[in-house]
Amino acid sequence: MKILGIESSCDETAAAVVEDGARVLSSVVASQMDTHAKYGGVVPELASREHLRAIVPVVRQALRDAGVDLKQLDAIAVTQGPGLVGSLLVGVTYAKAISFAASLPLIAVNHVEGHIYSVLMDAKSKGEEIALPALALVVSGGHTHLFSIAAGPAELGPVYKLMGRTRDDAAGEAYDKVAKLLGFGYPGGPVIDRLAPFGDPKGIKFTTARMKGNELDFSFSGLKTAVLRWVEKHDLLEEIRTRHAFVEQKRAKHESPTVEEWLTVTPTATLDLLASFQHTVIHELLHRTLASAEQMDARSVIVSGGVAANEGLRQAAARTARPRFYFATRTLSTDNAAMIAAAAYPKLLRGEVAGLALKAQASLPLAG
Amino acid sequence: MICALRFETHSDEETRAAGRRLAGFFPAHAVAVLAGDLGAGKTTLTQGIAEGRGAARAEDVSSPTFTLIHEYGDPVSIYHIDLYRLDTAEEARRLGLEDIFDAPALVLIEWGDKFPEILPADAFRIELTRLELADGEEAREIRVWTPGTEMVCT
Repeated sequence: MKILGIESSCDETAAAVVEDGARVLSSVVASQMDTHAKYGGVVPELASREHLRAIVPVVRQALRDAGVDLKQLDAIAVTQGPGLVGSLLVGVTYAKAISFAASLPLIAVNHVEGHIYSVLMDAKSKGEEIALPALALVVSGGHTHLFSIAAGPAELGPVYKLMGRTRDDAAGEAYDKVAKLLGFGYPGGPVIDRLAPFGDPKGIKFTTARMKGNELDFSFSGLKTAVLRWVEKHDLLEEIRTRHAFVEQKRAKHESPTVEEWLTVTPTATLDLLASFQHTVIHELLHRTLASAEQMDARSVIVSGGVAANEGLRQAAARTARPRFYFATRTLSTDNAAMIAAAAYPKLLRGEVAGLALKAQASLPLAG
Repeated sequence: MICALRFETHSDEETRAAGRRLAGFFPAHAVAVLAGDLGAGKTTLTQGIAEGRGAARAEDVSSPTFTLIHEYGDPVSIYHIDLYRLDTAEEARRLGLEDIFDAPALVLIEWGDKFPEILPADAFRIELTRLELADGEEAREIRVWTPGTEMVCT
């Protein structure tokens, strides 16, 4: 069965066709396309108007790449939330229109459940089965959440329960803010991840927050502030200015810096800072994830969202004996529509079809 | 603008408590800019305000930097917005802020002072400043400016 997935919850306009919840026939993400040339303007980044402009060509291309037309589809899946309501509305409205025009069932998907399915789909496509109960860590610029996943009754599908989440900043946001304040530009995760191995991860001692209440909750705001204090104390202004100028210069040439180039503008003390920061974030993530996994006796751990692409996190997780970790592939870590189509497949099988009265929901919880 | 209130807090919990007290200060329908450096406590203060207004529990309020807009309460009584990630006033406008400003809610905007041209004239201003005390401890000064003509806050 082929499902067309549509995702427009935040910055990316995306569409994909996925077969039987496992085989990705096409996956188009607008912010990664050569959109300037294609649509004669700067595309996505935010806002419903930009989604509106991109959605038709993106869906069309997803169908073309998959070599199918609407008649060959079995359902339309769309992200209902959480996200920006204006952005969500574009995807939801367009999905409804196609569903109505082509008489295809419409399936509503929670964006966060989509992230979990990006991993389940990958395992399924390799013929693997992820053992339940599982714990999912969804970690990106907007999320840092732990969910337990248990097999529910066949007619209802998996049961999710929120185990922990960030009390303040998301982990990806901490990466972006630290990179920005140090003059590394945006996005910050990949740069810090690439440079961290060149510094001493124990060079600077950052303390992690002790949680009152739920000990499985995360906090990254204090770490961000601690990095800021360190920078203020060490008079990095000149260094940051140099690096910032370097970033601008590369951007003007449409080039991305190599690790060697980064190293020429990043002194040892700053490399130690990056390594120590990354070490602290990864420790915070893994420590609470493993505590959570132990509490629920998880047989597997799923990691998805933009930060799942972090090499340091992957390596640290690989050193853990049990439970087994499953990471989303790099392309499916960030927002995409293939995961939405994949999450919709079991719903379609169960007959969980949304009506045309489907509403976008800015704060749609996956579980309480 | 007239400085109406001033708090000094010495922990995140005190900052949230200041937020809870501040909650009753704003009218039901108001816009307030949250100004202050990274780590000044803008989101922490918002947690207190949201709790004080009965819109959300403090632990349910997280940073909107990536997601741009968070809504709390049913019906929505608090909008928590963050413009940190945006580069131009045009991008901020495209978020549909004007519609949100018209909503019968308290609209709190982190980094709102980046784009003063998009703010309503009667916006409140909440300024957070980190203070280094003589004993090496940290404190936060929170000042609230009501819309008006004079600058008399010291």
